[in-house]
Amino acid sequence: MTETIIDVGQRHIRDINQDMQAAAARGEAMRVINTLSRHNLGVGLPDAAHLSFEGSVGYYCGGLNTGARIEIERNCGWALGEGMAKGHITVGGYAGMSCGAAMIGGTIHVKGNAGPRCGVAMKGGNIVVEGKIGYQSGFMAHAGKIIALGGAGASCADALWQGEVWVAGDVESLGVDVDVIEPTAEEVAEVDAILDPLGLVDSSRNWRKMVSGQRLWFFESRDANAWLMI
Amino acid sequence: MCGIAGRILSTPGTVGRDLVNLMDAQKHRGADSTGFAVYTAPRDTGYVLRGMGFDKNKLDHDLDDVQHLLKQNGGDLLGDPVILTDANKHYCFRLEISDPKDLTAWVRDADTLCDRIEIQSCGRSLEIIKDIGGAEEVANKHGVRDMIGSHGLGHARLATESSVLPNASHPFWARPFSDVAIVHNGQITDYFTQRDRLRRQGYQFLTENDSELIAVWVSDQMQAGLTMEQALKKSITSIDGVFTFMIATQDGIGFAKDRFAMKPLVVIDQAGDLAAATEEQAVRRVFAEESDVINHDGPSLFGIWGVGNRSLAA
Repeated sequence: MTETIIDVGQRHIRDINQDMQAAAARGEAMRVINTLSRHNLGVGLPDAAHLSFEGSVGYYCGGLNTGARIEIERNCGWALGEGMAKGHITVGGYAGMSCGAAMIGGTIHVKGNAGPRCGVAMKGGNIVVEGKIGYQSGFMAHAGKIIALGGAGASCADALWQGEVWVAGDVESLGVDVDVIEPTAEEVAEVDAILDPLGLVDSSRNWRKMVSGQRLWFFESRDANAWLMI
Repeated sequence: MCGIAGRILSTPGTVGRDLVNLMDAQKHRGADSTGFAVYTAPRDTGYVLRGMGFDKNKLDHDLDDVQHLLKQNGGDLLGDPVILTDANKHYCFRLEISDPKDLTAWVRDADTLCDRIEIQSCGRSLEIIKDIGGAEEVANKHGVRDMIGSHGLGHARLATESSVLPNASHPFWARPFSDVAIVHNGQITDYFTQRDRLRRQGYQFLTENDSELIAVWVSDQMQAGLTMEQALKKSITSIDGVFTFMIATQDGIGFAKDRFAMKPLVVIDQAGDLAAATEEQAVRRVFAEESDVINHDGPSLFGIWGVGNRSLAA
């Protein structure tokens, strides 16, 4: 496959993203250089696009992805892959706040740690973090799985809907309305099936699977006891 | 959604230029006004005042009154005022003064003129420059790029809690504490109550901006005996709202973040040569090469970066 070099620098982001769309339409892979942690790179890319970013990127990289395969060599800023529907994003280092916010499909793989509210309001797909997920990760996740191999920060899985947070390692504290349950062998096998293509299966892990306690789902504001939960 | 920045040079240099670059990269975070707090070479005696008058037609009269009050307090102007005027009604000034007998008393007297003229910084080293417009515009008007110093702060303001006025811009000086300045990204929700308490202690607030509170609050805590680090830690549980703020003194820059991890802070620290900002793309304007970035994304964080020292960030 032909590879196109895209130089970011201080060019207008709209021009850069149009170059990416054009290269994707021609079926060319892209290597993006001189990224300077700029925002909004690689947003709305179509299926079959393949990009690798040299260095770090800023906010919203890979947002609204509809199938592209994106690799980021180092770190990314807030809201990586926000609203993505399909595709695969790999981050070599740290992923900033709200990684995978409101995503509905696809996979995000973070090799370092992820910041606070990882997977906030996600509605599908999977986020795999090899390190630790930050404060309040999984907040109000509707569906999908957040899988952290290196522990979790405080207020983990706060106010979940039907999403799941899986953690191997220490959890600083649980959020509101979280139940920690022992996963079945079938459920662990499902998670391993997600980890397997990433080469991350380890049968010795002690998983904590966090799901909603469903007590907030039916919150009755006139019930004084309900407020004690918060 | 304001943008803030801090810069510490390992040896004094073009801190003004770097702060302009840091804020130009964050101009989209606040188009209402831009400001800079620059710590220039400290003087042994005397202060530099930066400020603003609200009607340039009364400029001579205003400055005469400032000088009169200064003389009454045992000080005087050193040299001619530097005045900046443009198409706006307000004007900006820079004065060098000798030491008044009691700085606090003089500031209190000068603040009696605050319906016409406002002292916006007073320091042996600190100079605050702020005005309406973006980083380029403010920098060009005030010559910020040419300012040489050891460290400083920058701010791009998206007005939320108070009016779009040049004097409601950041940074804020912690009046009457010389050489203390603050920039803030966020909203303080209990500022009216906190400000009222500090007013009853005798402090003056000249704007309705919530951020002016933080500068005085931290300084007051330090006056009461806390170290800056202790005051910053206490601010996280004592001040209500969402915030990331940076506070600077002649010795360095401190920061604190709220309990909810709502506002970002990104730092590159290369052995004391440090840039901090709301967005990573801003610090990359100073350190263009890929380097280790510290993301202070978590809740309840605080720390201090000393001038000439390595990071002590928590």
